[in-house]
Amino acid sequence: MNQNTDLLTLRSVSKSYGTVPVLHDIDLSIKDGEFLTVLGPSGSGKTTVLRLIGGLEPLTSGEIRLDGQDISRMPINRRPFNTVFQDYALFPHLTVSGNVGYGLSVRHVPRKEIARRVAEALELVQLGRFTDRFPAQLSGGQRQRVALARALICQPRLILLDEPLAALDLELRRQMQEFLKSIQREIKTTFLFVTHDQEEAIGMADRICVMQAGHIRQLGTPHELYYKPNCEFVARFFGENNLVAGKLGSVQGELRSIETALGRLVCSIRDQPHLKTATDGASAFAAFRPEALHLADAKDTENRFSGTIADMAFAGSSTVATITAGADHAGQRLRLRMPSRVDGSTLKSGATISLAFAPHEGHLVLA
Amino acid sequence: MSGTGTIPLAERRWSLLVTVLAFALPVVFVLVPLAIFLGYSFFSVDQGTIVHTLSLGNYVRFFTDPIFLPVFWNTIVLCLSVAAICILLAYPAAYFLTTLKGRWRYALLMLLLVPLLMSYVIKIYAIRSILGLNGFLNKALVGLGILQEPSTLFVFNMNAILLTLTLLLIPFAILPIFLSLERIPQVLLRASDDLGASGLQTFLRITLPLSLPGVASAASFVFVLAIGDFLTPQMVGGISGFTFGRILYSQFGTAYNWPFGAALSVALAVVVIAAILVGERFGRNRGTAI
Ligand SMILES: Nc1ncnc2c1ncn2[C@@H]1O[C@H](COP(=O)(O)OP(=O)(O)O)[C@@H](O)[C@H]1O
Ligand SMILES: [Mg+2]
Repeated sequence: MNQNTDLLTLRSVSKSYGTVPVLHDIDLSIKDGEFLTVLGPSGSGKTTVLRLIGGLEPLTSGEIRLDGQDISRMPINRRPFNTVFQDYALFPHLTVSGNVGYGLSVRHVPRKEIARRVAEALELVQLGRFTDRFPAQLSGGQRQRVALARALICQPRLILLDEPLAALDLELRRQMQEFLKSIQREIKTTFLFVTHDQEEAIGMADRICVMQAGHIRQLGTPHELYYKPNCEFVARFFGENNLVAGKLGSVQGELRSIETALGRLVCSIRDQPHLKTATDGASAFAAFRPEALHLADAKDTENRFSGTIADMAFAGSSTVATITAGADHAGQRLRLRMPSRVDGSTLKSGATISLAFAPHEGHLVLA
Repeated sequence: MSGTGTIPLAERRWSLLVTVLAFALPVVFVLVPLAIFLGYSFFSVDQGTIVHTLSLGNYVRFFTDPIFLPVFWNTIVLCLSVAAICILLAYPAAYFLTTLKGRWRYALLMLLLVPLLMSYVIKIYAIRSILGLNGFLNKALVGLGILQEPSTLFVFNMNAILLTLTLLLIPFAILPIFLSLERIPQVLLRASDDLGASGLQTFLRITLPLSLPGVASAASFVFVLAIGDFLTPQMVGGISGFTFGRILYSQFGTAYNWPFGAALSVALAVVVIAAILVGERFGRNRGTAI
């Protein structure tokens, strides 16, 4: 297992249902042993990507390669992948062990070996005591783990998980996230995990692939997506963000200026050559995270502007101020997140304050 | 919305009436007649009048007379065969229906169910003319060279009853099987494929077991309808096709022995209830949630 070799490659994959295009020219490489999350709003085509890879659905065009070999036309039951379905899809007439052993039993593995491997798999998902129950007698989290064990037992090259945690309540979802992650580390199998929940994606993924309207918008580590979004969609969708529209100005080394309603702002363009080469005056956004925004002090020479506090919201560990800025302190809404303090914040609604963010904590996205 | 407290009195009386009717109707029209029959079965007949003294005579006669028990068993075997043949023919038909897309599926289903709307007697006549000496079946078999000359194998005997009942009752088998097949979530079949099963394995291990409740309902439906039928044997059975239903019927007609007829009815009712219970037991889904 080598994290640097590609296990699976999608090359200009498109999919239409009838005449309706659902995926447009998808290119995606999945590395051996990684935990790759496909993230996107509902209807963006995540499930379709999974169904194409799993073989539940034929491609309209393009190809899928496994270890460099085209498997686009390989039938579903021959692909070395297994799916954990959105609603688990456990067989209601089979017991937990019947479900988990299914993939081995259809391959005519000897009974003794099936029994041994079923016991192992159930041990791994901590369901050893439930072998003889039927799916209807299990809780949501337990069904989830049966579905996972059923997929793991076939020792697939790739496990496809379609929003497996969506039906669980918050507490259980957190537990299952950690659980899935730890199992993935233990068995070192490649996971392709679909979710529409960006917190879930940040917490679990080695890399995240952001989808929107049938396109892949960005593929990168959670850190890259958070700090170097490559488009307005990712900048807005992935984590809370402040976006201020403007026109690009001059380049100074690893920084570039942008003229906005808040005045001239300077943001980092490090490792983003397309921002360096973009023409002057091009429409773009300055983007900076709520936690990067702070009350200005003497050290802040750049990116200073004033605003009016519209609202203060206590959110446990942090407190969020909603601020109106720009001309007449209207038109531009910003958020500022700061650590909460036991004696409350000194900032009050209606107060006018001076704000700033450091140039290296701001970034640019083209409009 | 209004809670229970604010529902007008008249409306509440109304719903009470409906509830009472819902329970009373089956009692009046089903249980009371059954109870009356049960009562009658302990009476006897003397020179054309019913003697109202309780005795087990009718049941003793049923179990000891060499005529009744063999016919009883033969009829049960006949009806089990009808049920089995109906299932074997209806299952592929219902399965084929579920493979059709949207509108076609229901259009064809309706077409298969149309015979249910036709008069029973007319259907029997139609089938009899197909099976008869100059009927379609004989003409086809002679035409194909399978038979030298038209055969009387298909009319006025047990075969004729078997064939006719099968043809008449097949729609009752298709419907429950179709419904149970249609209820199987497609994702279960995809999950089976995904786990490496072939098409045949998926059918045998997932589709078939999950449709067994429908098969059980279909079988008990057909069996109960077949065993209660005296008209079909009467019309296509001739002299050799003697069934329990015909004996029973004759007790209320030519033989004019209502108490004995009632005793035979009770025996039939026991079999019918047993068949319904068995069908119900296996017709229930083990765990439908997935
Ligand atoms: N079988 C289908 N027939 C027609 N359209 C479909 C079908 N499956 C999905 N779609 C459409 O494809 C788009 C993407 O769907 P999907 O991949 O399920 O999105 P996601 O999983 O991201 O919510 C949606 O607009 C959906 O309506
Ligand atoms: Mg989906």
